[in-house]
Amino acid sequence: MNSLKEIYQYREMIRMMVRRDLRGRYKASFLGFLWTFINPLLQLGVYTIVFSVIMRSNIEKYYLYLFIALIPWMFFSSSVQGGATCVLIQKDMVTKIRFPRQVLPIAHVTSCFINMLLCFIVVLLVCLFSTGLNFVVLPMLIPVMITEYLLSLGLCFLVAGATVYFRDLEHITGILVMLWQFLTPVMYSVEMVPEELRYFFMLNPMTPVIICYRDILYYKQVPQLQTLLVSFGLGLLFVVTGWFLFDRLQRHFAEEL
Amino acid sequence: MDTEKTVIRVEHVSKEFRLFSDKGVYLKEKLLFRNRRRYEVRKVLKDISFEVKKGEAIGLIGENGCGKSTTLKLLSQIMYPDSGTITMKGRVSALIELGAGFHPDMSGRENIYTNAAIFGLSKDEIDNRLQTIIDFSELGAYIDNPVRTYSSGMYMRLAFSVAINVDADILLIDEILAVGDIAFQAKCFNKLREIKRNGTTIIIVSHSLGQIEQICDKSYWIDKGLIRESGDPKTVHAYYLEYMGQKEGNALSDNEDKISETCSETNEKENAGEKLGENERITGDPEETAQKRKRFGSGEVVIDSVTILGDDEIAKETFKSGEKMTVIAAYHTIHKISDAMIGFGIFRVDGVHVAGTNTYIDHLGDVELKEKGTIICEIPHINLVSGEYLFDFAIHSTSSKVYDDWKSVQRIRIYSDTYDIGIVHINHKWEID
Repeated sequence: MNSLKEIYQYREMIRMMVRRDLRGRYKASFLGFLWTFINPLLQLGVYTIVFSVIMRSNIEKYYLYLFIALIPWMFFSSSVQGGATCVLIQKDMVTKIRFPRQVLPIAHVTSCFINMLLCFIVVLLVCLFSTGLNFVVLPMLIPVMITEYLLSLGLCFLVAGATVYFRDLEHITGILVMLWQFLTPVMYSVEMVPEELRYFFMLNPMTPVIICYRDILYYKQVPQLQTLLVSFGLGLLFVVTGWFLFDRLQRHFAEEL
Repeated sequence: MDTEKTVIRVEHVSKEFRLFSDKGVYLKEKLLFRNRRRYEVRKVLKDISFEVKKGEAIGLIGENGCGKSTTLKLLSQIMYPDSGTITMKGRVSALIELGAGFHPDMSGRENIYTNAAIFGLSKDEIDNRLQTIIDFSELGAYIDNPVRTYSSGMYMRLAFSVAINVDADILLIDEILAVGDIAFQAKCFNKLREIKRNGTTIIIVSHSLGQIEQICDKSYWIDKGLIRESGDPKTVHAYYLEYMGQKEGNALSDNEDKISETCSETNEKENAGEKLGENERITGDPEETAQKRKRFGSGEVVIDSVTILGDDEIAKETFKSGEKMTVIAAYHTIHKISDAMIGFGIFRVDGVHVAGTNTYIDHLGDVELKEKGTIICEIPHINLVSGEYLFDFAIHSTSSKVYDDWKSVQRIRIYSDTYDIGIVHINHKWEID
């Protein structure tokens, strides 16, 4: 509990790192921070062209179907993938300054999370103009997002700590995350998965999360909260184990870096 | 207030480093070159224990690589001990690498925010301290310029100002009081004293024993991973200096041996009548070899040896400043000499002539020399500041004929527990009304 208190004490450092990361992302580019919004819009444009002209899908408004799942997925994948290097790139600070090292993964995931929230402005606007929104189920996004945040943070702790000792993990994570994306119904629907495999699909904690996003924004219906609850539990478990493993691993960071 | 409270408790702490000669971090390297993962285990700290009470200031001294900086890194939790425990109470601020979190493109003001946040301050706390920090750094209007435009002095001033205004309960400082100009250093010292008075515990690692004596109540001398001495700084430092003096003395005599070896080699070559170096031919003075330049004279009087004794009547090369020094020269003559003038000179290694005198200057007139004898010159207090010096000894005639002039006959080293600057230590006494 002491370390939790310490993290709270270092909240300003987290805030500062998040701000620096968000600002630095499109630094020196002409449009600057606007890219945060332009980027998802352009992506949407690409999907619309590709999937309504070239690769036609039998899912109605497939570009939207994909877009709604892809923005949350990108939050998850950048959290985990970037998480692999979030300690390494702060080598100078880790070896020279004392601070709770948990700050680094937390700041990284939070920065990705806020980036997703900003993208969601675009997502919501597009939904509103395309198919409309169900404002009653919209608040359900909050537990879904929290669940996803926990899952991302837990994995980020693990990957961030381990990569310091084992640098290959940075590249291995990239491939694994890509594989994970195809094992999660981001580009397709769960119904397309053969019945006998569907059970295994539901073991993937990201599956319910993506389904929930889609239920709320695409189908505009109340999501299946029971399956989400399992993911939430797993997310908590990830964070707790991730935290303690990271805490063990960080003891030798200064020597390894 | 309970000032006797222990805030730092270090119990049986050991730390070792694995020094890999060629370590792979990637899978390929780890698998392929498993036998390359040879490493040498270096025990940096061996079972160290100490306690620090609230408001105390502690100095850690020792040679390079003795483990004092590692101790500080363990205390600051940048590293963790392999065994043993460290308990610390309160907020810790470590001035180990000043300005490590600085961002060059951001202004001084923005960097205060980021840097203070790294020390664990909240936004409000930083807002409250902002003006104090800016004032302390004396950066004035420069505070809104990007840090990359700062001089290194300004950079350090800003970094120190942030770190010292964190209001930590425990302040760890590593060799950074060499910040800025003398005026700013004095200011830092006063600030350190002030925060110490307010109950902050301070631990300083420094090679500047004077700085430690000014602030610390206690010194720990760490030698090869163990605490060798602890207690009153002045006492501990005296032991330490004596040890270092002896050690350097040994190193010095080793060097001298090497030099004389090479010298004798060149002499042998020349004696064997081998062809002379081109340089000497150009100067047209083949006799002026290195050895000759060091020593010349008619040879009517020959200085056989020069030894210098210290307080303890032992011939040595390392002396404590202020110690009694006795110079003993043995000589022999070819015929009776009645007009000798004996002198010595002391030069700092960089060539500065520190002192010089002779029997004529000292009103001894013409000195008579026997066939064989010794000359003794006593220097009651060798008041030189610490450093290396060369000692010349010469016997001339009063009519300026050179009998034997031996430059750099002895190399001596002075150490001191005071930190005078300049060349000599002038005896003095303060009286302040």
